[in-house]
Amino acid sequence: MSEEQSVTNNRPIDGVQYKELMNAGLTWLRTNQESVNALNVFPVPDGDTGTNMVLTLQAAYNEISNSSGESVGELAEKLAHGALMGARGNSGVILSQIWRGFSKGLEECETINGKCLVEGLKQARDTAYKGVVRPVEGTILTVCKDMAIAAEKSLKDTEDPYQILRIVTDAAQVSVEHTPELLDVLKEAGVVDAGGKGLMHIFEGMVRFIDGEPLDIEPVHVQPLSVIGQQEALNNAEPGQDYEVIVDFQPDQPLVLENYYEDLEKIGTSIQVGEGDGIYRMHIHVATEKRYEPIDYTMTLGTITKVHIENLMIQVDSPAGAQREEPLKLAKVGPDDLGVITISPGSGFSRIFASLGAAAIVEGGQTMNPSTQEILAAFEDLPTDKIIILPNNKNIMMAATSAAEVSVKQVEVIPSVTVPQGLAAMLRLIPGQELADVAKDMNSAVNDIESGEITTAVRDVEIDGIEVKEGEIISLHNGKLVGSNKSLKDGCLIFLETAKAEDLELITMFHGENISTEDAEKMAEFIQEKYPDQEVELQYGGQPHYQFIFSIE
Amino acid sequence: MTKENTSKGDIQISKQAIATIAFQAVQRSYGVVGLASKNIADELAHALVKDPTHGIDVDYKNQEINIDIYIIIEYGTRIKSVAASVANTVRYQVESSLGLPVNEINIHVQGLRISNGE
Repeated sequence: MSEEQSVTNNRPIDGVQYKELMNAGLTWLRTNQESVNALNVFPVPDGDTGTNMVLTLQAAYNEISNSSGESVGELAEKLAHGALMGARGNSGVILSQIWRGFSKGLEECETINGKCLVEGLKQARDTAYKGVVRPVEGTILTVCKDMAIAAEKSLKDTEDPYQILRIVTDAAQVSVEHTPELLDVLKEAGVVDAGGKGLMHIFEGMVRFIDGEPLDIEPVHVQPLSVIGQQEALNNAEPGQDYEVIVDFQPDQPLVLENYYEDLEKIGTSIQVGEGDGIYRMHIHVATEKRYEPIDYTMTLGTITKVHIENLMIQVDSPAGAQREEPLKLAKVGPDDLGVITISPGSGFSRIFASLGAAAIVEGGQTMNPSTQEILAAFEDLPTDKIIILPNNKNIMMAATSAAEVSVKQVEVIPSVTVPQGLAAMLRLIPGQELADVAKDMNSAVNDIESGEITTAVRDVEIDGIEVKEGEIISLHNGKLVGSNKSLKDGCLIFLETAKAEDLELITMFHGENISTEDAEKMAEFIQEKYPDQEVELQYGGQPHYQFIFSIE
Repeated sequence: MTKENTSKGDIQISKQAIATIAFQAVQRSYGVVGLASKNIADELAHALVKDPTHGIDVDYKNQEINIDIYIIIEYGTRIKSVAASVANTVRYQVESSLGLPVNEINIHVQGLRISNGE
């Protein structure tokens, strides 16, 4: 620790500064949320440590963000209360215990001096360890313990609370790096403990704040090799950056990432660097005339093992590229918003759901059912814990329900078993409202709609007294088989009759990927002639196998 | 007794064995400071014989494993989060040890322990 760093000599931390420090810790933890989530291995099904810790600390900080003129002791108690009420997941519970212990140590403190801070950290450790019969070492508990030990030792050299914060943060870093030695699951997975790392980030954020370093920019970090794929490239091809260059190399000397990034930034954009087993992979987008520069430059640093160059513009211009549409614009949700996850069978439906405010979309339908894990993954990362799932298929209900059970978030599964039911439910979404109210509205909306599906039978079968021959057009009304016909026209008509379309107002047709827009338009015109009193609308659904999906209301 | 047929014979796993796995997992769950008796009779039995699965009930019926867990939680932790974590951890440990799915895990919070100073 150098002399210049200890600019703050022995000044106690007052209430205002305490709040600023906590906010800094929260901000920095949020910045690093994804990298903490990525460490999750233990105990596997407990969701995302980073997200849980952010939500817990956010709830804690909310308790003190608007208060003023209080002692640090009072603020710490409020913060601990907020953490308790907002604790999510295992790591959140432990974090809330840490703040509870911390507040016990600060009970009598008007401001935080060195001794108070050390007492707070000691109590934090003691309280944290009290919460479990057999503490598992190599977790956030160990990191908390090592911080308290370092804090106690530091009192010999300094009573400056800022200086002590630095010392405990350094100790936390060492402790986090050591966690795989204590816990085999971490060692096997080649990671450090997620909870411990999260705790370290909170204190690191405080130190960064003291030093005036930015809190919202993620520092350059190395990703696992597998993260850097080539398939994403098209989505973010920038004009002028026509070539994608990927270089695998082994550096001769340890790579200084900051410098490497800095030099690459002069050459191109979309820079990513990954590492695995001593091999580095660099990914960059560059202008045509600079396409060899990243290779020449990297060659000066080590041995190149593989190079991949691709002209992105040609991909974009090609017929496959021409069909590529704008990326989906999903709704951004905040901590208090409702996040709706929908299962969509086709690109057209995905677009419609996104435009109605879906926060996440999982692809899936009749023949491709997403797993519980896929559904879970779609919403566990969202910053909110109020979640609604629209399964939109009866085969997906089960997976959606178990995702809801496994998650620590508040999750409502709406029993929408067809896509039109899901759309009807989606229309009832009011983002600011209470989860239970919206779910109730959606539940009733699901029953107010007539859904139809028109598809081609793939084998001979007899269901509900209706004989179906392979290749015939079958019609389903609210999931029930109502007819099998030779022609698509008859298939549509029999459904409309069963659903009593003549008594309703609006017929919406979504055509699938297996029927051309032209044919679909003809069918819509035909239906409009048959049902002159109803309004007929045609949209692209993009679903496989089903020529049409109907929604009548 | 849980039974699984393999080509060369049967594997039988006792309820006691399943309960032991669950017991170990519960002890390592954060927020749980002890296991509790289901009722007075159980309490008495526990006073006479130390059994390694006290507070855990395993039920095996129609090929489904159901586990009931009676716990005491540290006062001042969010009970809902702790209970959810326990259920997750036990399910994971039991399922990965046995290779069999667990149907239901019910957590019964029988009491809270108040540590010193509160």
